[in-house]
Amino acid sequence: MNKSGWMKNFLRVLSLCIGLSALLFWVAPSRPANTLEKIQKSGYLLWGSDAEGGAPYIFPDPKDPSKLIGFEVDLADEIARELGVRPKQAQNAWDSLVPALMRGDSDIAMNGIEITPQRQKEVLFSEPYYIYTEQLVVRKDEEAIQGVDDLKGKKVGTLSGTVAQDILMNMGGVDVKIYAGQVEPYEDLAIGRLDAVLLDLPIAAYYAKPNPKLKYAGPPVGEGFYGIAIRKGDEDLKKRIDEILDKLMRTGRLKAIYEKWDLWNEQQEKLFLKAGGTEGYVSLEESKKAPVYTFFPTLLKGAGITIFISFVSMALAVSLGLVLTLMRLYGGQPLSGIATGYIEIYRGTPLLIQLYILYYGLPNIGISMNPLTAAFLGLGMNYAAYEAELYRAGISAVPKGQMEAALSLGMTRGTAVKRVILPQAFRIALPGVTNDFIALFKDSSLVSVIAMVELTKTYSILAASTLRFFELGLIVALLYFAMSYPLSLLARRLEDRLKRSKR
Amino acid sequence: MITVRGLHKYYEGHHLFKGIDLDIKKGEVVVFIGPSGSGKSTFLRCINGLEYFQQGEIVVNGIELHSINRLRPDRKDLENIRKVRLKVGMVFQQFNLFPHMTVLENIIEAPLQVLGADRTVTIEQARSLLRRINIERKAESYPEELSGGEQQRVAIARALAMKPEAMLFDEPTSSLDPEMVGEVLSVIKDLVNEGMTTLIATHEMGFAREVADRVVVFDSGDIIETGPPGEIFTHPKTERTRVFLSRVLKR
Ligand SMILES: Nc1ncnc2c1ncn2[C@@H]1O[C@H](COP(=O)(O)OP(=O)(O)O)[C@@H](O)[C@H]1O
Ligand SMILES: [Mg+2]
Repeated sequence: MNKSGWMKNFLRVLSLCIGLSALLFWVAPSRPANTLEKIQKSGYLLWGSDAEGGAPYIFPDPKDPSKLIGFEVDLADEIARELGVRPKQAQNAWDSLVPALMRGDSDIAMNGIEITPQRQKEVLFSEPYYIYTEQLVVRKDEEAIQGVDDLKGKKVGTLSGTVAQDILMNMGGVDVKIYAGQVEPYEDLAIGRLDAVLLDLPIAAYYAKPNPKLKYAGPPVGEGFYGIAIRKGDEDLKKRIDEILDKLMRTGRLKAIYEKWDLWNEQQEKLFLKAGGTEGYVSLEESKKAPVYTFFPTLLKGAGITIFISFVSMALAVSLGLVLTLMRLYGGQPLSGIATGYIEIYRGTPLLIQLYILYYGLPNIGISMNPLTAAFLGLGMNYAAYEAELYRAGISAVPKGQMEAALSLGMTRGTAVKRVILPQAFRIALPGVTNDFIALFKDSSLVSVIAMVELTKTYSILAASTLRFFELGLIVALLYFAMSYPLSLLARRLEDRLKRSKR
Repeated sequence: MITVRGLHKYYEGHHLFKGIDLDIKKGEVVVFIGPSGSGKSTFLRCINGLEYFQQGEIVVNGIELHSINRLRPDRKDLENIRKVRLKVGMVFQQFNLFPHMTVLENIIEAPLQVLGADRTVTIEQARSLLRRINIERKAESYPEELSGGEQQRVAIARALAMKPEAMLFDEPTSSLDPEMVGEVLSVIKDLVNEGMTTLIATHEMGFAREVADRVVVFDSGDIIETGPPGEIFTHPKTERTRVFLSRVLKR
C-alpha cells in the first residue's frame, strides 16, 4: 500500500501525454508549394466539401452511413481516377470551404460552389461542371404563388450565402428567411412556417420533389455555374482539371452521373455533347427507413475521435495549467503577470471565439495548423486556465506549516514545492480536475466548427440527410453519457477519499 | 554558537523587536517563556530564516544572516539561510508532518533530497531513530494514523535525521492532549542529556526548570529578564516576570 503511488503514475501518464501532444504539433503540415505535384506524390486528391450540406451533392449513404455518396462524390472519384490517385474528402463547413482551401486544408473545393465575381477574386475556378438554376417550391395547395413574381410580402426560405439569397434580397419586399441547412426550409414550408422556398434545382430535386406536400412553382429562374475552386497559383492543376472535365463530358461519364442522380436537364446540354446510361439513386424516403444500427459504425468512429481529442486536450490542459500555476505563484514578475493575464483572458472569453481565432484567424498572420492540432490547442489552452485555478486553490489549501517544515529541513523552495506542496495540492484538486474532464468531453463538440468530424458533427451530418434528429440524437446523447458517467463515478470516489483523509 | 546582535523586527508597521542581543553557547539549553504574543516564536523563526528581520545580525555557527530590508532576499541571503537550516533543526507546535508520506518517508525525505544521502544507509538510520523514540512499528503508517504525541516524536526524529547541531522547539507540547505531553518532553530531555544545543519556547514551567541552563523571559518583544531557572522561578527580578509566572503557575 503506497499512497504516493498514484502520484507517480499520474506524473508518468502526464509526461507521456505531453510528449504525445508535442509530437502532434510537430506534424502540423505546412502549405505545399505546388498542389498538383503534392497530389501526385501523396496519392490523394483532398477535396473540400461539407457532408452536412446534404444530398444530392455529398451525404452519408443511408444503406451504409460510414460511406459518403452524392453526385459530387462520383465526380471526385472520376477526377481522382483520371489523376491516377485516390479521392479523399476533406470535411469543412460549407461557408468555410473557400477559406479552408485558401489556407491549404484541401487541394480543391467542390461542393455546389457557385462561380461568382466575388469568389473569383479569391480563388481560381475550373470550367463549370454544372449549370444550376433556382427552383421555387411551394405547398401542394398553394394557389397564390405561381412564380417568383408573386413573392412580395411572402415568407421565403433559402440557404445562407447562396445565389438564391441574392436574388430574393434584390427583389425587395420579400420576407427572406435564411437557413444554414437545406433540409429545414422544406420542413418549415411543409408545416406552414414558410410560404415558399427558393433554392438550387439539385436541392429541390432531391428534397422537395419527392415530398407529396410540396410542388414546384413556375419554371426555374436564374442561371449560374458550379465550378471547382482551386488555389490561386495552381494554374497547372486548373489546366489538368479542365482537361479532365472536358474528357468526362465528351465520353458521357459526367452525364451518366447526372442522370443517376436525376439532375439531368436541357440546360446541361450547353455543357455536354454525349449521354450515357442511368442507374437510379437513393431517395430521401429510403434513407428514412434504414435500420438504425446501420449508423452505429459511423457514430462509433465519431465517438472514438471525441475520446481521442478529449484525452489529448486534457493532457495538454493539465500540464499547461501546472506551468501557469507555477509561473503565477512562484515565478515572480513578469512571469506571474503573464500567467494571470492568460488565465483571466481564457476564462473570460467564449471557447467558441477562441477556436475561431485559432483556426480561421491565425492563418491571417501566417500561423496555420491542421484541424486536429487546432482542436487540441483550442480545448487544451482553454481548459488549462481552469486547471490552473484548481491547482492554485489546491496549493492554497495546503497548510502554511508544510512549506515551513520543508524549508526548515533545508529544502529549497523548488524541492519543497515539488515534493511536499504539489503532491498534496494535486490530491485536493483531483476531484475538480476530473469534473473538468467531464465538461471538456462535452465541450469537445465545439471543435466541429473547425472542421473536426467528431461525434456531434457526425450526428448533425447523419441527421441532416435522414431527418432522424430524434432517434439519432438519443443514441448520441447515450454515447456521450456512456463516456462521461464513468468519469463522474471516479470524481465522486476521489471526493469521498479526500473527505475521509482529512487531516 | 548562536549570536544575536541588535535585532529589529517589524510586522507591517508594528515594531516587535527593538534591538535584541543574545549569545547561546554550544550545548547550552535555553528556554524561552513569556505571555502569548510576546515574540518567542518570531525570535526562533528569525534564527532559521523563516522570518526576515530589518536590522541587526544573527550568526549561527559562523554563518551570518543579515537584515533584509528589500522585498525579496537575494541569492546570497538565501544560500546563507539554507546553510543555517542545515545546521539547525526545528520542531513546530503543529507537528507539520507531510501527510502524503509514511512515517519512514517523512524521515528519509530531506536526507535523500537535500543531502543526497545513500538510501539504504538513510533508511537504516531512520529506523534506529524510530527505535529511539519507540515507534518503530509505525514506520509504514501515515501521520493521520498516529496520535498527536507520536506525530510530534516523529517530527523530532525527522529533524534529527538531518544531524543538526542545534534544535529549535516552538511550543512542542501546546497542541497535545495532557496525557501525551510527557512522552514528547522525555524525548527532548534525552536529547538535552546528549548535549544538543537546544532552544525551547514553552509554557511547561516544570520542564523548563528541570532542563534549562538559562531561562529567557519575553514580554511585548523585549527580553525583560534572563538567568538560571532557579533564580528566575524563585526570585524574579522584574514585576512583569512575577505577574506572568504567578498567572501560569496558578493554572
Ligand atoms: N505574520 C505576522 N504578521 C503580523 N504580525 C505578526 C505575525 N506573526 C506574529 N505577529 C505578531 O508578532 C507578535 C509576536 O508573535 P509571536 O512571535 O507569535 O509570539 P509568541 O510566540 O510569543 O506567542 C504578536 O503581536 C503577533 O501578533
Ligand atoms: Mg508562539
